[in-house]
Amino acid sequence: MSKGKHFVVPMVCVAAVHLVTFLSGFFAPYDYSEQDRHLPYAPPSTLHFRDAQGTWHWRPSVCALVERPEQFGVYEEDRTRCFPLAFFTRGYRYSAFWLIQSDRHLLAVTPPAKIFLLGSDGYGRDELSRLLYGGRLSLCAGLLAAASSVGLGLLLGTVAGYYGGWCDAIVMRCVELFLALPWLYLLFALRAFLPLHVSPSQAFLLLIAVLGIVGWARPARLIRGIVLSEKERTYVLAARMFGGSDFYLMHQHIAPRTYGLLLTQAALLVPQYILAEVTLSFLGLGVAEPVPSWGNMLAALQQYDVLVSYWWIWAPGFALFLVCINYWRLASAMQVAAEGTAHWQ
Amino acid sequence: MVARSPNLAIAVSICLCLLSQFAGQAQSVSEDVVANGTETGHQGGRLSVSLRSEPKTLNPVTSVDVSSREVIAQLTADLVHINRLTLQTEPALAKSWKVSPDGLRYTLRLRHGLRFSDGHPFDADDVVFSFRVYLDEDIHSPQRDLLVVGNKPIAVRKVDPYTVVFELSQPYAAADRLFDSVAILPRHLLEESYKSGKLARAWGLDTPPLQIAGLGPFRFKEYVAGQRITLERNPYYWKVDRDDHRLPYLDQINFFFVPNADAEVIRFKAGDSDVINRISAEDYSNLEKDQSAQTFRLWDLGPSLEFNFLFFNLNTALPAQSSTLARKQTAWFRKVKFRQAISLAIDREAITHIVYRGRGTPLWSPVTPANRLWMNTAIPHPERSLQGARSLLQSEGFSWKQDGTLLDPTGVPVEFTIITSASNAQRTKMATLIQADLKDLGIQAEVVPMEFHSVLDRIFQTHDYEAAILGLSGGDVDPNSDMNVWLSTGNDHVWDLGEPHPSTSWEAEIDQLMEKQLSTRRPEERKAQYDRVQAILAEQLPIICLASPNILVGVKSDLGNFKPAVLDPHTLWNSPELFFDGQEGGRHP
Amino acid sequence: MKYLAHRVLQSFFLLVGVSVLSFIFVELSPGNYFDEMRLDPRISSETVSRLRMQYGLDRPLPVRYARWLDSVAKGQFGFSFAYNAPVASLLWPRARNTLVLTGSATLLAWMIALPLGILSAARRNGLVDHATLLFTALLLAIPDLLLALGLLLFAVRTALLPAGGMMAVGSEEMGAWDQTKNLAIHMIGPVLVLVLACLPTLVRHTRAAMVDALNLPFARAARTHGISPRRILFRHAFPVALNPLISLFALSIGSLLSASLLTEVVFSWPGLGPLLLEAILGRDFYVVTGAVVLASVFLVCGTLLGDFLLIAVDPRIRMEKLA
Repeated sequence: MSKGKHFVVPMVCVAAVHLVTFLSGFFAPYDYSEQDRHLPYAPPSTLHFRDAQGTWHWRPSVCALVERPEQFGVYEEDRTRCFPLAFFTRGYRYSAFWLIQSDRHLLAVTPPAKIFLLGSDGYGRDELSRLLYGGRLSLCAGLLAAASSVGLGLLLGTVAGYYGGWCDAIVMRCVELFLALPWLYLLFALRAFLPLHVSPSQAFLLLIAVLGIVGWARPARLIRGIVLSEKERTYVLAARMFGGSDFYLMHQHIAPRTYGLLLTQAALLVPQYILAEVTLSFLGLGVAEPVPSWGNMLAALQQYDVLVSYWWIWAPGFALFLVCINYWRLASAMQVAAEGTAHWQ
Repeated sequence: MVARSPNLAIAVSICLCLLSQFAGQAQSVSEDVVANGTETGHQGGRLSVSLRSEPKTLNPVTSVDVSSREVIAQLTADLVHINRLTLQTEPALAKSWKVSPDGLRYTLRLRHGLRFSDGHPFDADDVVFSFRVYLDEDIHSPQRDLLVVGNKPIAVRKVDPYTVVFELSQPYAAADRLFDSVAILPRHLLEESYKSGKLARAWGLDTPPLQIAGLGPFRFKEYVAGQRITLERNPYYWKVDRDDHRLPYLDQINFFFVPNADAEVIRFKAGDSDVINRISAEDYSNLEKDQSAQTFRLWDLGPSLEFNFLFFNLNTALPAQSSTLARKQTAWFRKVKFRQAISLAIDREAITHIVYRGRGTPLWSPVTPANRLWMNTAIPHPERSLQGARSLLQSEGFSWKQDGTLLDPTGVPVEFTIITSASNAQRTKMATLIQADLKDLGIQAEVVPMEFHSVLDRIFQTHDYEAAILGLSGGDVDPNSDMNVWLSTGNDHVWDLGEPHPSTSWEAEIDQLMEKQLSTRRPEERKAQYDRVQAILAEQLPIICLASPNILVGVKSDLGNFKPAVLDPHTLWNSPELFFDGQEGGRHP
Repeated sequence: MKYLAHRVLQSFFLLVGVSVLSFIFVELSPGNYFDEMRLDPRISSETVSRLRMQYGLDRPLPVRYARWLDSVAKGQFGFSFAYNAPVASLLWPRARNTLVLTGSATLLAWMIALPLGILSAARRNGLVDHATLLFTALLLAIPDLLLALGLLLFAVRTALLPAGGMMAVGSEEMGAWDQTKNLAIHMIGPVLVLVLACLPTLVRHTRAAMVDALNLPFARAARTHGISPRRILFRHAFPVALNPLISLFALSIGSLLSASLLTEVVFSWPGLGPLLLEAILGRDFYVVTGAVVLASVFLVCGTLLGDFLLIAVDPRIRMEKLA
């Protein structure tokens, strides 16, 4: 059907983003923890297609940056020392998909020049590399948390709305409980119980999973409202008269009516969980150094000085924007497809 | 004679009374402190100051946090004050003092004719009352520990209405420094609360202004929850300027609250505040760009007394299930050469450059260059040397694998975690830089930023950590203020807490030296002893000092007599002398 | 009436549950208020432990909880370690300031989100729809904190808006009208941030619900019958779409006290936000518990309101099935 057309573009985009982040070793010129003490907050490198004599080359070059003395973070280009870019060269080792080992990289430049396509951060680490590696962790975490919230919310909200009475009362009071409690202390406690040696990404994933599980309250409340309304519909009552079990009714007839809401919620929650890390890292609950994630890279912008002076630190925000739009489109397409099947039953 | 003419007697006595009053007042004018070496300003103006967190109380007895202390410092006065610029003591409420030959008795003579901000006269009863309150064990004042010398509290005795005697249980070097910032309380307002046991709850923020009085340059006027505290001039203040005009010049000080350092900078740029205290290095460079607009001036006062350091867990009392930690301690942390190697491998220049934008000082000793009176200049300042570090490690039996990983003598790869407070961006940055430095040596160090109280819990309570980065700030230049860090029984002896006896010979030596310098009266001897302590610390490296931030402040260009100092409070210590240049005499709302 | 009584009883148990769990969470997390004093070399550890005892921090949890309940009964809601004052006296003035802000922001946000969402749904894939999609995606991709900071910077750079705070310095000397104007100007920044922060959720949900409703058979049938699109939109589709929106509205009301924490901190607004943040970080947990219970009261009222509205608006939901 024509509905399939809406799927393709966002699906491809989303798949592309995930693929690129999983192959970040290939696309990233540098390791995410490689510091350059002489180039903190370097601006994105200018690619020169013309060399110092004015000749055109197909291969762009990058020139060395020299920090202006007495001024932190202000650089001048030294046109006398320019190095061409190299493609598909060998560099540091990395593993893709946890299985394939390789040392081929898309881009590289001979040291001491650095190719900072998106500038560098406060320690002189390449933003682009950190963006790619960080995307892996952030996107996974966001999806994991959103899926847990929405999944649990669907389950509990449907049960509460369908059965009503005491069931509804208990679940709804739990919703209020979960919304009201200061989860931050629980997260502190959890972090304190974890041994110091747990890897940063594992610690972070655990915390995000907890947040996701705790976050079932909002979707549950929204879904319960719809279920309350839908379960009185004539076709549901008819199906019940025909002997449909509760589970069948919930699964076949009522739940599909909530898919629109669910998809919207999911598409809203993914970026929110990714960005929750900005606040968490401020409190020491985010991903530890030097592992990058979009949240902790954006957290650097909390400082007034960085916010004002170094626009390339916003890169994860741009990336998230693109990801958001594509998730939205995907969710809309899925909603259109789902409502197509839901209505003509 | 009196019986024969009572009227005459009465008249004579009345005259005598009047005369003595006059004499007393005339004496009070000559006893007013003349603020010396200052420009003469004129009265008027309202100073706006931002505070990075809301003050919690106006009670000098129980206040602990920095903001409360800053406000209380404007409301109260002490007997002997440390001049923040010269770092020496000078008379304040006490006009002079004598020390007995054995150093155990200090006799202070108080000024006559002073009044509290509500007009009530001040005398020795207030002093005795104040010290009784501070030393009272049921009130648990944080000030109490400062007044305990040789495990016994100072005893206070009134000799006459203007003379007090303090008795110490053992001679104490620089005892006059003890009196600084010990605010004298008004007995007439607080005695009731003290007798009924409610003193700790008195003088909270919503106390009516009339119930609060002090001897400071300003008095409490108004508090608006969450927004500001306003102080107004104390009409009875006892300092005058060279032209005999009563200080302070300013009409009001308005403290308003901002939630963090960034908001503070923004408000300063927008003109809402007149003074900004302890700017961070990044904000400083940002403000520098706007300085040319001439509305404000920035000052870089050089290094502060704060020292940031990396230290390892050398505690002998460890949590039960920590065999790995115990093994790491014996195999690595307790070896001096290991610590020295780590210190050699750290790039302090990079820390100063990246963390403090060059506005900091690398440190090899906890006594910073700001403390020019006590710093041991003979301590070496070695440059970063991976070679040196490697040879030190080799001499202890460490070796390297093919891929560069460092192995200890038993073949275990060297790796440990460094905890630091996540809310302190500078220390987290230092940790990240050190992590990369140690990687060059083959050590796998993991940085674990944690929430501040979790860090404190691990360091002070559970001792469950391997290495940590902390910062401490000497409250005063005098070595006595940091006693608790160097004494092995001290509660800030962070690397080895809770030990009744020193666990190493050098710690025992430090203990002896610190005890000795506590009571040595001759300054040269004290300096020699403290120099030796610093030398031992630099050699044994229980703490590996990293860097100290510079003190950066900013002020509106039209504020006169602004002389920022290295000791706290950096900008407002001379608030009575501050005034606004300009015709109208200050800012208008 | 019976229903109302039931709900009030349940809410009471809920508040008790919230307070008990708060206590337990705080108990689990490491550290307490007096730890920070340990860092000051001039204070001995005996003083610190004696202070802890004075405030009852060494007593077992049930004893502390009982004392807190007693304090609630007296209207004090516990005692703050930092301020040495009853928690209630700290909360009331600040809660008032917060409500001024969040009340205006919620009102404004709903007033903007509803028309925008409906318009997007009515003209699906049109210009407005695409623009809204981009706009909401942009808002979602920016963390709230940075949005607030960015707006504050913009305010300072252009000097259009004040740099934070609730009233200007020296405002106590102004007349009533001037004071109101002053307050309004100071409110623009934080209210804008709050509105922008919750706009994506509201707009997207409205749009999704309206799209769902417009695709229902009766709506399509109505089109073929020739009923005007506008009538279909407002008279037929919108009431159906109301269900999730009412639940959202209930959650909005419920979060009136808690949603603005970060914004208040960035804009130095003297509400509950800065107090709470400092209390959380400093482990002043009676303040935190008091604020949590206060916020729960709002939450409960919001949910109750939401449930009533659901019944009122959607005749298919029957009261007795609703707990």
